[in-house]
Amino acid sequence: MQNSKLLDIKNLSISFSSEGIESEIIHNISYELQPNEILGIVGESGSGKSVSSLAILGLLPKRISKITQGTITFNQQNLTSLSSKQFQSIRGNEIAMIFQEPMSSLNPSMTCGNQVLEILLQHTSLSKAEAKAETLSLFEKVKLPLPKRVYSAYPHEISGGQKQRVMIAMAIACKPKILIADEPTTALDVTVQKDIITLLKQLQLEEQMSIIFISHDLSLVSEIADRIMVMYKGAIVEQGDVTQIFKSPKHIYTKALINSRPSMDSRLKQLPTIDDFMNNTSNSEIITSEKRSQTQKQIYAQKPLLEVINVEKEFISKSGWFSKPQTFKAVNNVSFKLYKGETLGLVGESGCGKSTLSNAILLLNKATSGSIMYQGVDITKLSKSDIRKLRKDIQIIFQDPYASLNPRLTVGKAIMEPMKVHNIGTSDTERKSKVLDLLLKVGLDESYFNRYPHEFSGGQRQRIGIARAIALEPQLIICDESVSALDISVQAQVLNLLNELKTNFGFTYIFISHDLAVVKYMSDQLIVMNKGRIEEQDDADNIYNNPKQPYTKKLIHAIPKGL
Amino acid sequence: MSNTKGSLTQLALQKFKKNFWGVLSFWLIVAIGFLALFAYAIAPDNSQNANQMHLSIHSQRPGFEVQMLYLPSGIETQQNGFSRVFFGNANADIEIPISSYSIDKEVLTYTEYASDGLIGVEKTIDLNRFPNKDHSAFIKKKTFLFGTDKYGRDLLSRILIGSRISFSIGFIAVFISLVIGICMGSIAGYYGGKVDAIIMWIINVTWSIPTLLLVIAITLALGKGFWQVFIAVGLTMWVEVARVVRGQIISAKEMQYVTAARALGFNDYRIITKHILPNIMAPIIVISAANFAAAILIESGLSFLGIGAQPPMASWGAMIKDHYNYIILGKPYLALIPGVCIMILVMAFMLIGNALRDALDVKS
Repeated sequence: MQNSKLLDIKNLSISFSSEGIESEIIHNISYELQPNEILGIVGESGSGKSVSSLAILGLLPKRISKITQGTITFNQQNLTSLSSKQFQSIRGNEIAMIFQEPMSSLNPSMTCGNQVLEILLQHTSLSKAEAKAETLSLFEKVKLPLPKRVYSAYPHEISGGQKQRVMIAMAIACKPKILIADEPTTALDVTVQKDIITLLKQLQLEEQMSIIFISHDLSLVSEIADRIMVMYKGAIVEQGDVTQIFKSPKHIYTKALINSRPSMDSRLKQLPTIDDFMNNTSNSEIITSEKRSQTQKQIYAQKPLLEVINVEKEFISKSGWFSKPQTFKAVNNVSFKLYKGETLGLVGESGCGKSTLSNAILLLNKATSGSIMYQGVDITKLSKSDIRKLRKDIQIIFQDPYASLNPRLTVGKAIMEPMKVHNIGTSDTERKSKVLDLLLKVGLDESYFNRYPHEFSGGQRQRIGIARAIALEPQLIICDESVSALDISVQAQVLNLLNELKTNFGFTYIFISHDLAVVKYMSDQLIVMNKGRIEEQDDADNIYNNPKQPYTKKLIHAIPKGL
Repeated sequence: MSNTKGSLTQLALQKFKKNFWGVLSFWLIVAIGFLALFAYAIAPDNSQNANQMHLSIHSQRPGFEVQMLYLPSGIETQQNGFSRVFFGNANADIEIPISSYSIDKEVLTYTEYASDGLIGVEKTIDLNRFPNKDHSAFIKKKTFLFGTDKYGRDLLSRILIGSRISFSIGFIAVFISLVIGICMGSIAGYYGGKVDAIIMWIINVTWSIPTLLLVIAITLALGKGFWQVFIAVGLTMWVEVARVVRGQIISAKEMQYVTAARALGFNDYRIITKHILPNIMAPIIVISAANFAAAILIESGLSFLGIGAQPPMASWGAMIKDHYNYIILGKPYLALIPGVCIMILVMAFMLIGNALRDALDVKS
């Protein structure tokens, strides 16, 4: 049975060097892939899951990385000692890869058909006409609607999900033995993700190939994989059968990974983090629905803090000088009320208008029509200087914690600057002590004051973003996909922090996310948006338990639930 | 007392220090700057504009030696030491190249130097012209390291003093171009729409005029002279800066930290100066280095055409113009030396620009 292994990786270590300092990224990993099997690799960012799979294809950046020891055996060939010329016949032909970003993996100046055709012509001896027929049949196989249209379409003319399908068609064009899928659905919406997963499963059965499926999402991997391997800090902490990993994880890290994600069924008071598992201090207190409805009753007895009435936002897309400008309603007739102390969840797929709506509330991008009443005043009609005063009250926490911090300002200065502009605190020393206080409150310490954003990890940066937002002592905070870019364990920490701050300071949140599980955990009321309209609006638990609209049902159905 | 160890600027500086050509160019530029500043203190001929002419020894090769008789001018001036060091001696001694001399009683008889085997005129001078009738301190051997130009002036001194023009045109023109370019570029890029359209029109129109033609037009309007050239070159170079700044600001404007700054209620001026400009400094610095080099070349070109610095002021371009026809007469060094100087200075700025571009690229 020894020869049945398709791919055998033994004691592989990989080092990266920067400025002469060599550091080992992958520590002595060994795993194998059987024919006709889907292996899932799970790990957080920086765990080395992508690097180890790039090594299989010989795609590591040559000058800065080095395989220090170990072998990768494929078909009795040691891949670590192949020349780049020999690799070319393996890449795409025997081992193929699909990447995370379908947008940047396709060449924008070539039609989709030609890009697949090119691969067929290079690796097979098909004639041009045969290759074209083969391409069309591939497109049919990956279930692209209207394969002929996609064949002659440029990448920007088709949707993200369709692009990923084209990528898959490219990858399976030469009937590879192994398909490596590196986070193939992370950039896609949940409903599209569901389709792609089903497609991959089906293709695997049809083509009898093996798939290495890499993802950070354990429940997603558990839906597709036969076997799972969990990686943490460049080492394999656990590998085994799906049910075994999921039902009875052995390693603490795997346990934490499974439990850090908000559960869809019960509502924990505090999400367990990795540290909690390490120290065995997880708090399993559950907020019961009675307690929840009690606090909600109090909240809804007040006057609304923010009232959004029939807000619309139109974008004009000019098609030409003489043709009539076409308009597109990103937000269409949206109304809701928000009460002090409440967390309003806003969920929807990309392009549904949730960010446009938040920008309209923040007055960053003014609404075309409708009114937004904040404490009884219509803020869409305020003057420029009044808007600037209002900014103090409504704050935002962004999705990308790195992009939202000015890379040239120290953390301390970045938090102090808005305080100075809005005249909070009388002197710089007073402000500084306030900032240090804030840093402690968001779980950072005083030594961070003079450091720059690039010295921090994603979770720490998001804490800085939160500290900056609450420095202005706002009433309302909009969290625009604030935890989407974070790893699951860090996500749990940030969600806990947000809830803690809410109880301490009495903030009101609008919590925007595409992740229904996270939104449901956080919010009291839930709004489901689709194509600029509100599909459904109700209590979060109600929506989840008995969705009324078909779209909501589809959305809930598409969430990977694991086993 | 803030700890700046991790700042991006600091990182860039560390990276720059590792670039051999960048560091070499930097020190070369510092050295040339030092030479330009103390040109009169260093130059063998410290008369104003290094304008001491000896027609009898014109266009001699580098390393040429001759006996020189110095006659004190005997005119008292009120020039102070500071001005003498930085702006040259207004009242230099009279210098006469001689081939031989003899003393007879109270009279010094000397033969003037003449090249090509001719015999110079014999002249006499009263020893009373010299203090204490001691002539020995006033007859010295003089070496012209770079030779002499077509008026018999010391080429080395002219080169040293000429570096001032090349150097200062770089600074002043780049300064003017930065002030106008950054203002126009940031307004166009940040506000967009009609303002952008108008500024882009101005930029495109300015750009479509050939640089030399525009400079000639501006010098004609403002008058001839090196100050006018400085301003004119600056006024032509801002377009490139403005275009770069505009493009950078348009992309930086989309960055989330700018949206964050708007959400925090900062005003536009603060956002542009504190949040956008520091982040787009890298391409501005790089284009400034390239502009520095371009300005030096344009000035040389203008001086060559006779529109730049006016005689007797020394300028490298003008020195090439004076001597380019000697190239075929077997004395190419007269034009080559200033040409090589221009090349070295421009090259240094280009290399420093390249090194800075690499160093400021934080991504790699």
